[in-house]
Amino acid sequence: MWTKTRSLMLSRILVAGLFFLLCVLVICIPFIAKWFDAISVGKGLIKGSVTVPVCIMLYICDIFAFAAVISLNRLLGNINRDSVFTEENTRCLRIISWSCVFAGITFAVFSVWRFEFLFAAFFACFLGLVMRVLKNVFEKAVEIKSENDFTI
Amino acid sequence: MAIMVNLDVMMAKRKISSNELAEKVGITPANLSILKTGKAKAVRFSTLDKICEALDCQPGDILEHV
Repeated sequence: MWTKTRSLMLSRILVAGLFFLLCVLVICIPFIAKWFDAISVGKGLIKGSVTVPVCIMLYICDIFAFAAVISLNRLLGNINRDSVFTEENTRCLRIISWSCVFAGITFAVFSVWRFEFLFAAFFACFLGLVMRVLKNVFEKAVEIKSENDFTI
Repeated sequence: MAIMVNLDVMMAKRKISSNELAEKVGITPANLSILKTGKAKAVRFSTLDKICEALDCQPGDILEHV
């Protein structure tokens, strides 16, 4: 039977899986960059090998991804403890949102080597915007809950 | 906030303890403490009605705009 607890458990497992994947990515970044350089046929303002720029870009984005995943894990942990509309959860959503935006900026900067990175930049910024709106909703919900809690 | 709660003054006048008032009104002592210390953001009419009944006073005796 599918329950809320199991759904939450699945989310936590997926987040843990993503964390593991990011750890693997840290080790594999040089190989991925070389492979991308070999198969990439795109163009950019700067010509030549993209191994080093892709390496740097992935390392930077990995930091933002780690920040987002750790915040996601903390958020799910709080939800598991029935502590949903709190300041800490709003902070987690803010971190996730900014991580996405900064990753988007990173992709945009590195699009001078390959224009296709602009697509990734757009999607990362779009996700960041969605998370920001969600953060605003949460912020308002925290305020309403606080008002409700202090209504005697 | 511009609204002051003078509940402790009325309680002292009526010589009633916090626990006794909380029991009469039907709220927890913790919530009564929130009300007394001015941390409350709103008071329900039903709660105000019960407090006025328990202390035999008017809402204006408890709430004051400063």
